[in-house]
Amino acid sequence: MADQVTDFLKNDFIRDYQALARQSWETWAKQLQQPATNDFFKSPTPPTASSSSDALERTLAGLKGYFDWMQGVAAAGGQDPAGDWRQQLQQYFGGASQPFAQAFGGIDSAGAEGFIRQWQSWLQGAQHGGFGDLPGANGAIPAFGLNREQQMQQQTMAAAVLESLQASARYQALIQRANTQGMERLQDKLALHAEPGRQIDSLKALYDLWVDAAEEAYAEIALSDEFREVYGEMVNSQMRVRHLQQRQTEQICQQLGVPTRAEVSSLGERLQSLRREFRAGHAPSPQDLAGEIATLRQELAELKRQLADGKESAPAATKRAAAEPAAPQSAARAAVSPAKKAAAKAIVKAARKPAARKVTASSPSRSKPVNRASSRKRK
Amino acid sequence: MYTPLRIEPTRALLDIATFQRKLAAGIGHLRSMREPEYANTPRELVYSEDKLKVWHFTGHDKTSSKTPLLIVYALVNTVWMTDLQPDRSMVRNLLAQGEDVYLIDWGYPDFADRWLTLDDYINGYLDRCVDVVRQRHGLDAINLLGICQGGAFSLCYTALHPDKVRNLITMVTPVDFHTPGNMLSHWCRNMDVDLFVDTLGNVPAGLMNYVYLTLKPVRLNQQKYIGMVDILDSPAELEDFLRMERWIFDSPDQAGEAFRQFIKDFYQGNKLVKGTLTIGGKPVALGMVTQPVLNIFAEQDHLVPPDASRALAEHVGTGDYTQLAFKGGHIGIYVSGRAQREVPPAIHQWLRARA
Repeated sequence: MADQVTDFLKNDFIRDYQALARQSWETWAKQLQQPATNDFFKSPTPPTASSSSDALERTLAGLKGYFDWMQGVAAAGGQDPAGDWRQQLQQYFGGASQPFAQAFGGIDSAGAEGFIRQWQSWLQGAQHGGFGDLPGANGAIPAFGLNREQQMQQQTMAAAVLESLQASARYQALIQRANTQGMERLQDKLALHAEPGRQIDSLKALYDLWVDAAEEAYAEIALSDEFREVYGEMVNSQMRVRHLQQRQTEQICQQLGVPTRAEVSSLGERLQSLRREFRAGHAPSPQDLAGEIATLRQELAELKRQLADGKESAPAATKRAAAEPAAPQSAARAAVSPAKKAAAKAIVKAARKPAARKVTASSPSRSKPVNRASSRKRK
Repeated sequence: MYTPLRIEPTRALLDIATFQRKLAAGIGHLRSMREPEYANTPRELVYSEDKLKVWHFTGHDKTSSKTPLLIVYALVNTVWMTDLQPDRSMVRNLLAQGEDVYLIDWGYPDFADRWLTLDDYINGYLDRCVDVVRQRHGLDAINLLGICQGGAFSLCYTALHPDKVRNLITMVTPVDFHTPGNMLSHWCRNMDVDLFVDTLGNVPAGLMNYVYLTLKPVRLNQQKYIGMVDILDSPAELEDFLRMERWIFDSPDQAGEAFRQFIKDFYQGNKLVKGTLTIGGKPVALGMVTQPVLNIFAEQDHLVPPDASRALAEHVGTGDYTQLAFKGGHIGIYVSGRAQREVPPAIHQWLRARA
């Protein structure tokens, strides 16, 4: 009787339940993807990159991977106490629903510019679109005649696409290696749980342990010299393909009289260069500063002269000083000090002038200094 | 010998059912959530130029500091991590301590900004922002707080304009880009950055986010969202989660030329510690930074490994160097409860001792 119940649980019930669960998952996902009346799902604020559909895609990809994995584990049934748990583990984390692949699959999306998919479809499209044996796809062949340049470009492009796909394949192989090593680490981690009270008894606990193991293995590989070389080659080869695509697009645009990105970019470079020159032209030059310092020195000398003259023509003060011989130095300091302070203030004020000009003289880039008074008014 | 796995079929089905039930119940909450707001601590615009804005935080009566503090954030992501939500706001806590806080919001570069260089950012934009704050307070020098890449910018700026910086604080700032365990640096070492920028122009934010996700692919792309299912029935927690998601993915593109230089000179060339860096044709060496420096880093930082920040101690020219290790990660240093308690007070006390 007990065996019958177990069989029922392992087979019919689980199958039925899985079908139901999948159905409800799909309903849930569909509901979530429906346009909502709520702002959060309807209209992301431009120009931010935080689109709700992106977030939803990421969320769903992650959750779907987990959901599929749970389904897979449930389908594999319970453990045979006498069986090999390592083999069981392979069953849990192998196959199409293995969550590591899902984790990567989810991020090769719009955010990643869909590099791999984009070029795979480009290659397929090119083959379906009458290119037949894409020139250069099976090695470079000499090109000649009126369309020589176009043939050469096609060959270069095909070679670059293939190179990129090869680099991506090497990258994927390393990711797969990380997955395999993650499984080995998981086994090591699980071995520490092989005693009563420490056993893993829930899908979530198993998943979390696997995540730890997978991330550790991935980090080790991602920091290897091999990964660095493969990663660099993958990025570089993808950029080469994209660069060639852009060149082809630009040529078509030029033929149609459409302004190209390269032209706009070139204008932008010149504009930025002009802005720098303009600013440099308005910044005070060392010569200007030298002149300003000389003027300040003259003003200071003049102030000193006036101060000295003032002392001489101030008989009352002189008389007081004469009447109080015990404190002549301090009295003189007291008399001089405000004048000195005024002179010093004038110097500081004048010295600040260039900085002040620098702040406000930024018209070419639409700079808008807001002074404190006006800010306070707004408050 | 026991098997470590003891997942009963009924328990497995229960787990699936629970997961689905939480999802189903959570749909309503998720759909009713509005775009979460940041803390939006009251502030006034004091300067704008092109796409950048300088904000001054207002509405605080307790300002006791005589020298204002200008926050210089990274070009990646947005500065609002420092003012994420009312109970997780470094800015608010700095204000509460009595600091007078300004910050630079670099904005969202587009193709018009494609040719902005590090010179334009550091000797141009940043210098003018500093001048604005100096002028408003009638001061020769102000305090700078540079965060992450903004910390590297602040170090360069201080070396180039020493008279305008009184005290420098760097937070989770990469200094030595070639320490072991720096995954980002490792990955971009073989990158042909010239081809990369010539092809892309500006670097799309989506691509940057993709790279960040692949630093911990399973954790950041899957496990995090599975965890979200557990909080779907808690509007407050869900709102916090979605706000963080907004911040993570609401990120600006990177101006092409500045990106090219940063990758080449900092990530690939490690010129900041080698002493071979030049910005706008002028040499930049950490030995030129003689102002008091407070260097704060996170011990569990997966973007800027602690060693990458610690290296500042060996190279900086100041005799007044203080280091603070925070128990947390690159983001936790702004938003965790511990961060609220520890970081702003530490900054304030350090500044007050050097007022």
